[in-house]
Amino acid sequence: MNPQPAMSMPVAVASEARALAFLADLSETLAVSLDLRQTLSEAVTRIADFMDAEAASLFLLEEDGDMLECRVCVGPIDITGLRIPLGQGVVGRAVAENRNQVVADALSDARVDRSNDVDTGFVTRSLLCAPLATAKGPIGALEVVNKRTGGAFSADDAEILRLVAAPTSLAINNARMAHELVQQARMRREFDLARRMQKSLLPKRRRDGFPLIGMNLPAHEISGDFYDYFDLADGRIGFFIGDVSGKGLDAALLMVRVASLLRWVGKDGTPPSEWLQKVNEELCQGSLDGRFVCALVGHCDRNAQQVEIAAAGFPPALLYRRGEFTEFLSGGAPLGILAGETFDGHRIDLTDASLYCYSDGVTDVRDAQRRTIGSEGVRELISRHAGASAEPRLRGMFSELKHLRLVDDTTLLLIERMQSHGPEVLLKRRFPARPEQMRGIRSLLRTALDDAGVEAAIRDKLVLAVDEACCNVIRHAYGPECSGDIDLRVTRDAGKLEFRLLDTAPVVDPQCVRAKPLGECRSGGLGIALIDTVMDDWAMQQRPDGRGNCMVMHKKVSANQASGEDQA
Amino acid sequence: MNGIEHESADGCILIRLRGEVDLSWSQQVREAVLAALQKNARVGVVLSEVTYIDSSGIAALVEGFQNARSRGTGFALVAISDAVRAVLELARLDRVFPIVADVAAIPEANGASAWKP
Repeated sequence: MNPQPAMSMPVAVASEARALAFLADLSETLAVSLDLRQTLSEAVTRIADFMDAEAASLFLLEEDGDMLECRVCVGPIDITGLRIPLGQGVVGRAVAENRNQVVADALSDARVDRSNDVDTGFVTRSLLCAPLATAKGPIGALEVVNKRTGGAFSADDAEILRLVAAPTSLAINNARMAHELVQQARMRREFDLARRMQKSLLPKRRRDGFPLIGMNLPAHEISGDFYDYFDLADGRIGFFIGDVSGKGLDAALLMVRVASLLRWVGKDGTPPSEWLQKVNEELCQGSLDGRFVCALVGHCDRNAQQVEIAAAGFPPALLYRRGEFTEFLSGGAPLGILAGETFDGHRIDLTDASLYCYSDGVTDVRDAQRRTIGSEGVRELISRHAGASAEPRLRGMFSELKHLRLVDDTTLLLIERMQSHGPEVLLKRRFPARPEQMRGIRSLLRTALDDAGVEAAIRDKLVLAVDEACCNVIRHAYGPECSGDIDLRVTRDAGKLEFRLLDTAPVVDPQCVRAKPLGECRSGGLGIALIDTVMDDWAMQQRPDGRGNCMVMHKKVSANQASGEDQA
Repeated sequence: MNGIEHESADGCILIRLRGEVDLSWSQQVREAVLAALQKNARVGVVLSEVTYIDSSGIAALVEGFQNARSRGTGFALVAISDAVRAVLELARLDRVFPIVADVAAIPEANGASAWKP
């Protein structure tokens, strides 16, 4: 049943086995290669040896696709760097036709360009060239020159070179793709950094009744839009919003320059028209490479009664008052185009009204039919959300814009008299200072904090801390001898919770109320230590009437649970 | 809702607490723990049904633990609820008390260092 092992293999079979072993070995080397240049150079040497060639070389197509360059070569003459036009010579043809080229007698073959031989004194007798094929077409060619044994390369040689070319092109392709990926990752990182840096230039949302809110939604990763606001020495507020023509990194860099220039010039309260004029002169002195800047600048008082604006090539500002719109057009051309330009301003009465300043990204938003929504669309958007108070209104408008197609950076600045809400009362309760009251108080407090959207884990800690504070009043302030009430009030203001406890017990020396280190195995003094750990800060305060004690504790709860931060 | 129960299990006294351990009855908890230790038995305080504990409740447990140590007997918290664990962690006492995972684990825990005086 078992065939006898062959005593000697036929010559053809032996050479085939040798070729297969060589091919497998070479493929493996190329596949695991980390340093492609080194590996290719070794591979070409081994190919030359294996095929008994005097010289071998590897050509790669240049990026523009018209020329082939010798990247690796072995043999008596170094032709590394030699460039051959696509379609010319044996190598050029192999790539252009994506076909093996076999030249048995180089001296009489028209395909062979022997100018190099003339220069170097090398005599090319026979040639074999295989394209480096990939799915996207050939990327170069492998060439072997002059069979050492004399004569031409055989059909077997041609087949082997074709087979060797496959793993070679695969390895080159992989290396190129890896390189590209690394490049892309680096670019992404840099873009990310630039975007974050640019975002950090936008002013933080100010509360406490500040009459301006801005929002920005970049269409590309880096925005050319900007806005800023700042306090002037006379108590008014200076503001600007702008848009640099073009997109990408260079527009963003110009934006940074213009934003700081606008701030610098506007800081001392220069009237809007003059403000734009100065910035325009400065920008016209340097070269903007054909770029320009659209901007609107202005001043308003803190109560947002009067606004003064001037604009340069910026979309009209829209005043909304009880369902009616008034437009205020730009008083001059964009900045950075023409020196000496003047800009007419507007003085606007803002009583019971809102002023919307927006970059053309807002009007350029596309609806479902890919039409821009235009100024009419912006008016509808404002009317639809007019019922909401400023921040939710802007959020609502932006979330609607996001559902449409943004083609450009979208920035909006809203100026109006903001309602100053004051602290919101979450719980107010007066109860007898007795231990058995605390269970009910804890339950009330839990519900109040749940309603305020405080996360459960934090809620439980806050309940514990307030309970501890009440127990201290019960045990130490009133003590066994006295009785009275505790007045508990929980309020929230701008994401900060305040817990205030009032009692009518004998005044406690605040110096006696101190946190002791936690983690100590002692049965006393734990309550204040827990309060100290849970709360951001706490203090014993003097009651103005001198009766009893007042303890105030604060805890900031994260913004998304409370009133929300700017999303854009 | 609040309650204290005593059980004997495998040579130790289990004190099972229920409800919200606060200033209104933590003194009773303290007394129950100290009374059990008086009998020179190991004491385990089962806290699986405790939904809230304040510093006065923690103080009762601390006192029990210290008392057991001075007597040279064992003391452990058994099957602590999440609410209790949160307060122990906050007070950084979670590594001070010997803690046994549940009542079923007590026999094995008998030899463990946690139970040892």
